[in-house]
Amino acid sequence: MTAAAPVFQDSSRPAFIEFAADRREPDAIARLRRAAFDRFETLGLPTRQQEAWRLTDLSALKAMTFQRPADALIDAGALPTLGLPAHRLAFVNGRFAPGLSHLREMPDRALIASLDQALLAYPQWIEPYLDRLPGLAQHPFTALNTAFWEDGAFVHLSRGTVVETPIHLIFHAAGGDSTVYPRLLLVLDEGAQATVVVEYQGTGRYLNAPVTEARLGDGAALHYHQIQQESPQAFHLGGIRLQQGRNSEANLHLLSVGGQLARTDLEALLDGEGASCTLNGLTLARDQQFSDVHVRVDHAQPHGSSQQRFKSVLDGKARTVFDGMIHVRPHAQKTDARQVSRNLLLSRQAQAHSNPRLEILADDVKCGHGSTTGFLDPDAEFYLRARGIPAAQARAILVHAFANDSLNSIRLTPLRERLARLLAADLALDIMEGE
Amino acid sequence: MRAYIVESRRESSIMLEIRNLHATVDGREILNGIDLIVRPGEVHAIMGPNGSGKSTLANVIAGREGYLVTEGAIHFDGKNLLDMAPETRACEGLFLAFQYPVEIPGVANLYFLKAAVNAVRKYRGEPPVDAMDFWDLVHERMELVKMDESMLKRSVNEGFSGGEKKRNEVFQMAVLQPRFAVLDETDSGLDIDALKVVADGVNALRSPERGFLVITHYQRLLDYIVPDHVHVLFNGRIVRSGGKELALELEEQGYALYNEEPGRARRAAA
Ligand SMILES: Nc1ncnc2c1ncn2[C@@H]1O[C@H](COP(=O)(O)OP(=O)(O)O)[C@@H](O)[C@H]1O
Ligand SMILES: [Mg+2]
Repeated sequence: MTAAAPVFQDSSRPAFIEFAADRREPDAIARLRRAAFDRFETLGLPTRQQEAWRLTDLSALKAMTFQRPADALIDAGALPTLGLPAHRLAFVNGRFAPGLSHLREMPDRALIASLDQALLAYPQWIEPYLDRLPGLAQHPFTALNTAFWEDGAFVHLSRGTVVETPIHLIFHAAGGDSTVYPRLLLVLDEGAQATVVVEYQGTGRYLNAPVTEARLGDGAALHYHQIQQESPQAFHLGGIRLQQGRNSEANLHLLSVGGQLARTDLEALLDGEGASCTLNGLTLARDQQFSDVHVRVDHAQPHGSSQQRFKSVLDGKARTVFDGMIHVRPHAQKTDARQVSRNLLLSRQAQAHSNPRLEILADDVKCGHGSTTGFLDPDAEFYLRARGIPAAQARAILVHAFANDSLNSIRLTPLRERLARLLAADLALDIMEGE
Repeated sequence: MRAYIVESRRESSIMLEIRNLHATVDGREILNGIDLIVRPGEVHAIMGPNGSGKSTLANVIAGREGYLVTEGAIHFDGKNLLDMAPETRACEGLFLAFQYPVEIPGVANLYFLKAAVNAVRKYRGEPPVDAMDFWDLVHERMELVKMDESMLKRSVNEGFSGGEKKRNEVFQMAVLQPRFAVLDETDSGLDIDALKVVADGVNALRSPERGFLVITHYQRLLDYIVPDHVHVLFNGRIVRSGGKELALELEEQGYALYNEEPGRARRAAA
């Protein structure tokens, strides 16, 4: 029960009681926190005896002593920009930084705000949605987040509201062996549409355990991009819960580059007929990095479609895990669910684990999955070299081609280009303009 | 058709010199002592039945991995070619048109070509190619091989038909303008129109400074690319050399001396 307490100094029960006492918030929220903390204590930190954590070695994390972060000031220049007009909310050490944020004129019937501020002003808008989604019930870091979140973002678009301007949410952690628990609550009512870009970054050593909850009403559309560029010493253990109504559309891009240990658990519940969900993941891992994605797509209603495309590029002694479950409930006929996992190994010491899983309980469905792991094609490398391109550049071009494919479906052009440059820089590759 | 017919110039220097070349693949000897000299301006044809070692020779010249040279030497402009990495050979002016061009998903043809052109320029100490100049060159060369502009945006060879792949090889050659090109069965699998396009591309590049080694299984290509010398490769050796009439003779007799019946090459090509 209390096994976790000495490790997470800030998440011992006395620390929680002190933390909760400081928060002035509605009873319903306080109850949520207490329930979540109880759940965390029951679950404890994961061990490798648990099937879902078999490949995730948390011993480095468990050896840490974390504390609640101090307030920190950072320079605006340290934060990324989108290259487009955006509703921008920045958070430092999990706390809203108004000076680094920029909220444009709000469309009618839309609220884009700090979650904490929104909770003060409009608790009745938050309570019905916060921590209400199923999924990740066994995920202790989601429980920790629910118990300890200080702030995050709240996006509520009421029926038919289309927000064209992207919503840019930046979370910077300033290290110091601290824990941050960003909370993102995205509520898109019927027919609403939003484009969200979430960036995680930081310096030094810290644990970032963010949770995103996105609820899409009937016919709603969400384009969600998550760019995980934590510091090389950081731990990132995130959760994403997604619930989709009838004919809603969710497109998620998950890019994972940073952290010594990074894992994202994602559960998508396609809870309305004809919902469609596309998950595009790209992980780059090198040196001793460990990077893990656990996905569960749950088809609960007929005529849904889901596409999971996860890629990773591994160098050095890096390890990646992709664990992807497609679950089709008996009632969810005419489901079309696909999953592809592709891993590119650049070193003999790197290891990629792909674990595709299907649980198909309906009989009239199309489901498919495929997984490949391999090295660069020596014939392709020779072909490039035979045209005069040096070996290192030839390899970089091939790796870039493999990875860049994951970015092609990002519609925000400046973001797509920035990420392509990031890839290129990672590969020490000069990419040419206009290509 | 014959854009240029260049007299071989005996007095000129040697471009490619292959001496007593032996090479093995997986421990098996494939090339058993090849001697060949190509001077600038010359077109040499190498003919031979399947499995005689034609592609092995091409790959050894280009520096592909997996081929072990156990004896002999290759010099290019007097430099030891076998000491050079494949990219260095290309930068020195060598080009191989692949028998089986490789598909490279996600790398656009145009990007690839520009990277290649700039790699060669960098090797020579030149600045990257001017974007407009490059575009002009690409367009001019595209017309030469009657290639559609849409192929520039497509991934290198991905989903190309056999003919498109071969055309793309000649296109790359035309853009890179190597001093010495090896064409490995660039005619195989082409219909007569495509074959003429390929031949026109090669003929347009023929010049007193350039050498070609045209590998083919069939005489047909040599109606359009008229060689100065023809060599017959069999079991990893050059067993006969002669002028362009040797190709016609082979056409009549097949590789009769060796293992094929007369006329078979013609029938197979039809
Ligand atoms: N990469 C390779 N691996 C194994 N065997 C090879 C390889 N390349 C060539 N060979 C063998 O070498 C011989 C000559 O092949 P090749 O040079 O391709 O002949 P050609 O091009 O004249 O048809 C064949 O017996 C072929 O099986
Ligand atoms: Mg061959």
